[in-house]
Formats: sequence, C-alpha cells, structure tokens
Amino acid sequence: MNMETPVIELRHVDKHFGLLHVLKDISLKVYRGEVVVILGPSGSGKSTLCRTVNRLETIDSGEILIDGEPMPAEGRKLASLRAKIGMVFQSFNLFAHMTILDNLTLAPVDVLRIGKKEARMEAMRLLERVGVADQARKVPAQLSGGQQQRAAIARALAMRPEAILFDEPTSALDPEMISEVLNVMTSLASDGMTMLIVTHEMNFARKVADRVIFMDDGMIVEESDPEAFFLHPQSERARDFLNAVHSH
Amino acid sequence: MSVSNLLSQYGDRYIQALLTTWKLTAFSFAAAFALGVLITILRVCPIKPLRIAGDFYVQVFRNIPGAALLILLVYALPYLKIIFSYEVCVLIATTLIPSAFCSEHLMSGMNTIAPGQIEAARALGLTFFQMIRRIVIPQALRSTVLPMTNLLVATMLTTSLASQVPMRPMDLTGLVSYINTHATGGVTAFAISAALYCATALLIGFTGSLIDRKVRILR
Repeated sequence: MNMETPVIELRHVDKHFGLLHVLKDISLKVYRGEVVVILGPSGSGKSTLCRTVNRLETIDSGEILIDGEPMPAEGRKLASLRAKIGMVFQSFNLFAHMTILDNLTLAPVDVLRIGKKEARMEAMRLLERVGVADQARKVPAQLSGGQQQRAAIARALAMRPEAILFDEPTSALDPEMISEVLNVMTSLASDGMTMLIVTHEMNFARKVADRVIFMDDGMIVEESDPEAFFLHPQSERARDFLNAVHSH
Repeated sequence: MSVSNLLSQYGDRYIQALLTTWKLTAFSFAAAFALGVLITILRVCPIKPLRIAGDFYVQVFRNIPGAALLILLVYALPYLKIIFSYEVCVLIATTLIPSAFCSEHLMSGMNTIAPGQIEAARALGLTFFQMIRRIVIPQALRSTVLPMTNLLVATMLTTSLASQVPMRPMDLTGLVSYINTHATGGVTAFAISAALYCATALLIGFTGSLIDRKVRILR
C-alpha cells in the first residue's frame, strides 16, 4: 500500500454528455514520477478522462485532487491548481499571434510571476532540450507539426509542472514526425516526470509506461503493468482491442 | 457658384470644417474603440447578467438611427436636467453607435481564434482577464483591421450628424448647409465636401490595408 500523496487523484468521477454516460465511476491515482498510459478504443472516454483532470471538462460528481488538494469547479484556486499540471494537446494549441519564445514565457511571467529575463533563459533552455531552439523567433504557423508539438511540450515544461497530461499528442502528426515527439516524451519519462498519457502508440506505451489503464465504454476495465497487459490481457475487451491493433 | 468662387470665398471655412470633421472622427473612433472592447469583454465574461447587458447594449445602439439618438440627446436629456453642449451631444451619438459595431467586429474576430488556444490558456492557469488581455483581444484586433478601417470611415460619415445641430465650428456637411442658406452654392458646395470626405476615406483605407498586412496573423 502506497502511503504517499498521489500527484493526481480521481475519486468516483462521473460524467455525462447529454444522455451518454462517458465516465462511469472513475477512480485513479498517479504517483510522483509515474508514467501512466491510458489505452482504449475511440469513444471509450480516455480523452475525456484526461481533460477532466484539469477540469477542461466539467464533471457531474466525484472529486479531483491535485497533490491532495481538491480542485474546485471555478475561480482563482482552480487556475492556480491548473498551473501545476501541464497539458499537451492533440492539435498543439500554440498561441498563433506570438513567437514560440513568447508562447513559452507568457504563463511563467503572468501566472508564476517569474522575471522576464529568467523566463526567457529558461524557455531557451527548454527549446534547446526539445530541439527547436532555432525556431524560437518564429510564429507557430511557420513550424512543422512535429516542431509545434515539441514547442508545446516545452511550453508545458516552462511552468515547472508537477505532472503533464498528454491528450493524444501524436494523433495529428505525419508518421515521420511522430517519433521526434515520442523521443522527447521518452526522455521526459526517463528524467522522472510524472505523466498521464492518452495515446494510440502501442510500442511507445509498452516501452515507457509504468502502468497501463485500459478503458472501454467509460469504464476502467483493466489496470496493470505494461508487460502483463500486452502479453496477458485479462478482459475479453482488452484482448479484442489488442488483436484489432496488432492484426495489421 | 463655381468651384473657384466657392474656394476663394469659403476656402478657409472648408479647411476649418475638414479639421472639425477629422477631430470629431478621431475622438469618436477612439472612444468607440475603447467602449467596444469593454462591451465585448462583458459579452464573453463568465457572469451571465453582464453578458446579457453587453448584448442588449449592442442591440440598442446598432439599431438606433443616428439622427434619432442625437435628437434624444439634444432635446430629451434636458428634461432630465442633463444638458450637454451641441458638440458633446454629437460626440456621444457618434461614439455610441460605432461602439456597438466595433463590438460586433471584435466578436467575429474572436471566432477566428481556435478554441484549443483558449483551452491551452486555461490549462496554463491563466485567469479570465489574463486570457482576454494576452490571447483573445490581441488576436481579435489583429484579425479585424479591415472591418475596423471600414468602421473608421463609417464613423467619419456619421459625424455629418453635426450638421443637424447648430454646432460651431461647423463640420463638412454643416458648412454646406451654411453656404447654401447664405448663398447659392448648389451642388458644387456639396461636391467640395464630398471630395474632402472621399480623400480622407482613401487615406484611411490605404493606412488600414498597410496595418493589416503588417499585423495579420499567420495561420
């Protein structure tokens, strides 16, 4: 039994989209330094789950705790807890009117009140780390998808987050760009970053995950270490899913 | 009267009228712009009564005829013991109406912002006002330079309302009425004012496209 406070904890979270019950009694803990990968077929609720963690999606009932602190539905407290959790989106969502460098310094300066100079230095260091430092003065539209996504990861890192959520970070990328993004994520994982990742990249999941969560129909169906999940899935739905994924 | 007759007799007054029109336009547009931004923030803020108030404001001032608004300001307000000078009445009318259109332009400018950017801003912990100030308004402004240019021209043309009250100094349209009641300037007197309006509009249009090319957001 792990007595440490989880960085992210969901307790009995339920959510409906109209009549559709998209999250059914979801409970989940992510501990410091853990990499948790959520797998599952389209429409299983995995993206929604990822987005509820920082309340980009509202929930009907249940509780979300960040570092043991309950996350309120709105207000300043919500904003300050959100600042602790980074997020990387499928469509990058960089701010279109700003340079890459300004994308990285905006929130550290405005939200964390870090000095401009320090924020810039830190931003350049992070851009260096994800390999797009030479693009710092360009605007997002001038970058390739892979470069934009790496810059978006750097933007999340600039907030010195406790954990980062990845919502299908490679689903909008051309195949040759997927690996450059996955490489960055792999290096983050080996540096001990706490990560909750929704993805369809099975090999990547198997390689970096400490724990795999399999979702179907709004429920967590299986939760296990990656080797066990990929070699001996317990549920029939997970077996069907893996067969479908591996059949070509 | 010929153009040269009119110019030799009223040339100074035309210049003064042009400057008056420019002044009214500049003040009205600046105020309308500031007010338009403010109203737009109300229309998207998280507090519903403020959103409704913002929408109501726009509906009212987008749909009221300028002349009707000016008449209310000049002749109805005094019954409430509120008396403004003619110039202030004109400025209020030529500010309120364009401010509603300014807000409409900004709303459509906001629609060009991908919703994902708003989510990213929220995920980074930005408050509503930080998001409005750093993400939403800058992008809305930069994508609406051309409609705002049109609005500036429209505001200039709206300042011709000043001719409906005895404001001194006179604006370009007011001067035409003045000339035609003191002499027979006929259509020519109008033509000179029209040429000055046109020249100003061309200048505004040219400057507007220059700015637009400079600030347009690459997507």
